[in-house]
Amino acid sequence: MFDRDTEGVRIELRSLTKHYPGQPAPAVDNVTLDIPAGELVVFVGPSGCGKTTTMKMINRLVEPTSGEILIGGQDVLSLDPDQLRRHIGYAIQQVGLFPHQTIAQNIGLVPNLLGWPADRISARVDELLSLVNLEPSAFRDRYPRQLSGGQQQRVGVARALAADPPVMLMDEPFGATDPITREHLQNEFVKLQKQLRKTIIFVTHDFEEAIKLGDRIAVLREGSHIAQYDTPAAILADPADEYVASFIGQDATLKRLALMRVSEVSATGSPAGSGLPQVSADASLREALDIMIAHGADRCATPSGVLTYAALCEAVGTRAGEQEDVVSSER
Amino acid sequence: MSAETLAVGHSRTSGRTVGARHLITPVTICAVLVALYAWVGTLELDSIEQRSLNQAVILTKAVEHIQMTVAATTLVVIIAIPLGIAASRSRNRLITPVILTVGNLGQAVPSIGLLVLATFLMGVGFQTALVGLVAYAVLPVLRNTMVGVQQVDPALIEAARGMGMTRGQILRRVELKLAVPAILAGLRTALVLTVGVATLGAFVAAGGFGELIVNGLKLNRMPVTIVGGVLTACIAFFIDWLGGLAEDLLKPRGM
Repeated sequence: MFDRDTEGVRIELRSLTKHYPGQPAPAVDNVTLDIPAGELVVFVGPSGCGKTTTMKMINRLVEPTSGEILIGGQDVLSLDPDQLRRHIGYAIQQVGLFPHQTIAQNIGLVPNLLGWPADRISARVDELLSLVNLEPSAFRDRYPRQLSGGQQQRVGVARALAADPPVMLMDEPFGATDPITREHLQNEFVKLQKQLRKTIIFVTHDFEEAIKLGDRIAVLREGSHIAQYDTPAAILADPADEYVASFIGQDATLKRLALMRVSEVSATGSPAGSGLPQVSADASLREALDIMIAHGADRCATPSGVLTYAALCEAVGTRAGEQEDVVSSER
Repeated sequence: MSAETLAVGHSRTSGRTVGARHLITPVTICAVLVALYAWVGTLELDSIEQRSLNQAVILTKAVEHIQMTVAATTLVVIIAIPLGIAASRSRNRLITPVILTVGNLGQAVPSIGLLVLATFLMGVGFQTALVGLVAYAVLPVLRNTMVGVQQVDPALIEAARGMGMTRGQILRRVELKLAVPAILAGLRTALVLTVGVATLGAFVAAGGFGELIVNGLKLNRMPVTIVGGVLTACIAFFIDWLGGLAEDLLKPRGM
């Protein structure tokens, strides 16, 4: 199959359509999309727009009415569905851990289906538990109901990663957790993905989450039509239409600032403190702005120099003091 | 987390080991049997009563009664569990009402009537009694198997399919495992029902404690009827107790 390589492979959707019998309009209408290898692409859209259906066609939990799906150049529709799914990681919002199996058995399920020897499975289980920050010796032999919601979600992600698939499908995997746990899981997941470079399709209706996690975002409307497909920065800077703009909300510029690091903006002057508020190099520009406002200052000190308000404006493509004629330098 | 762990630790000790509460039923049964023996000992039995109330006859009837119960329950397991699984599949939804109706009929039709009909077809004996017993006891197992499989969280089935388990693997490793408590509960009900209905075996010459009850009534010998009735009840309680133990020991861990 396509997973000789455990790093991500390219996914191509060609004129993918799903028309449920007896319904006037197709749930997914003629979607064509390229997902580059090793990227995390977020499908974002309102409930019922067909984003989950589109995702489920990739591992054939939903059979397409017409169209083509290629993973690593291989036609998915020609493969045995059960075999195919063993080579695609799958995580869902409800997690779906089996209550009668231990955490180790849950994580080892796909390797077990693939016929790995027992010692290789148990080594892999321990490796994955460590990867999702759960102590293997403490969690291996527990049962799912003995874990908190956040811990279960981590096990869900570990289970999806078990056989080291090049492709992962994730359907709002952090959706059912409280905001603090959610933020924590998202941060861990971003780090994890930097390390693993899988090709991931991530479905959510939360645009904040999409910006935070996605290398690219596909904003979908009714029938899974793609309203815009681009990097988070590009979508924020230049939404394709009203629909996309309404998804972003009122604070697009602040969201863009949140995407940029202090270290990415050239600082001026000497790094000497001179009483200016301090920000770290890996803080976001949004945090830097927050500090400036909090201190009533128009500049703050970074490890490499002084960051000014004007530099912030320049970073998002506007010039300080300019009231009209907002120029977008991106795209 | 410590509270959760505590709770689990507690349920494990009460669920996995035979505790004091498990001893109440057998102790009570023993006390009832001793009381029955002592009471019969105080009676002056005439020759008719002596012919029924002696060790050899009671042992034979006990063995017959238990044989009927075990044979009928085995058949019920073989028939009702696969039917229950078939009835639970969504692709069989057209035949599910048919299966359930047949199961309901078996319980709704009076057993004695069914035994008479079966006697016309098969003559008297052990096998005829089995027909009535099986018909009567299929429904609880069938229904509980169906409901037990259907109540498995759909998210688990979706996760299982998404990970590439085949339908057979999902049924064996997930659905049936999680339905075990419900199936065992149905089986326990079926066993207790069978012990009671097996007394009707007396009418088709299949033996069992029903014979003591029927003979006692026919010959107007109350002690014989009472001994038959009490012993049947003791077997029913004992089997119910065994069923309870089995439920505790066989339910999947982690639930």
